[in-house]
Amino acid sequence: MARRKFATLKSFLNYIGVEGDRTIFTWVSASEGDRWAQVIKGATEKIKALGPAKKMVKTIG
Amino acid sequence: MAHKNSQKRVKPEDRKKKVIGVVARGCTTRSLIIHLQERQYERDDVCIIGVPCDGYVDGKGLKVKIGGADIVEGTVDGGQLKMKTSDGDKTVALKDVLAECCLTCRFNNPIISDVMIGSPAPAMNPDAEYNDVKEFEAKSIEERWAYFIKEMEKCIRCNACRQACPSCYCPTCFVEQSQPQWVGIGEDKTDTQVFQFMRLYHMVGRCVDCGSCVSVCPMGVDLRKFLKKIDKDCFEMFSNRAGSSMEDMPPLGKYDEHHDKQDFIYNP
Repeated sequence: MARRKFATLKSFLNYIGVEGDRTIFTWVSASEGDRWAQVIKGATEKIKALGPAKKMVKTIG
Repeated sequence: MAHKNSQKRVKPEDRKKKVIGVVARGCTTRSLIIHLQERQYERDDVCIIGVPCDGYVDGKGLKVKIGGADIVEGTVDGGQLKMKTSDGDKTVALKDVLAECCLTCRFNNPIISDVMIGSPAPAMNPDAEYNDVKEFEAKSIEERWAYFIKEMEKCIRCNACRQACPSCYCPTCFVEQSQPQWVGIGEDKTDTQVFQFMRLYHMVGRCVDCGSCVSVCPMGVDLRKFLKKIDKDCFEMFSNRAGSSMEDMPPLGKYDEHHDKQDFIYNP
């Protein structure tokens, strides 16, 4: 069940010290175009506020 | 006819050696329950000989306690562990050298069994099981991250934790998959963190706190601190303890519309 997986994933990420707010989970139906746009806008704003991810990011070279 | 029989194809799953009997302590029966719930074999396929458990000695901790001497012989006498070592006779209190997971064990008596041996073991100290986790949760996010990377830096990717874990039985582990490659091989720090994170996360509702991964880890990575959090979340969010009963199915395979928390769902 996705909802339970996300609930535990978010909590576990927070626990190890990665911002759990980067994990965004919600339901959008294919018919809810307006809501879809709002979700993406909101998510982008949240991520922008957090800044670039530095944890668990692999740098090559 | 003889030729036809000689050509009979044996399915790969039938080539495996099957376990037919197992001597199980409490946590082993929890693992068996998980296997049964995940349909790895049928209940009738396995004969379970249950043994009550007073806790296992943490080998590494004991070695430190006796100053690194080699143990030649040992006996348990009351609450004392008496040993003949390369450094003379030594005696330590059993409760000082038990594995961390055994000290706060809630299920030291087998949950399911066909035959029981011995009388039920006295309870350990389960009330203290989440003390470590609570202490760690109270730290700041940066402190927690610093601890996580410090622990993961020790990891040499030997996969001993995975091999020892009763819940890690996938025929092809995500570590070895190459299409897609979930995690890089080699010594990159991030790959190690991702490997450990993914392995730990796969234990949601499946870790029985048997202490196998901790006891086999050659580098002494503090895996239990993270696994116990998963266990705590599972209990607090879904009131489930991994493998605690045959009826209580794995928590990630179901949901409860009315009682599951909703606060993680994003609503713009």
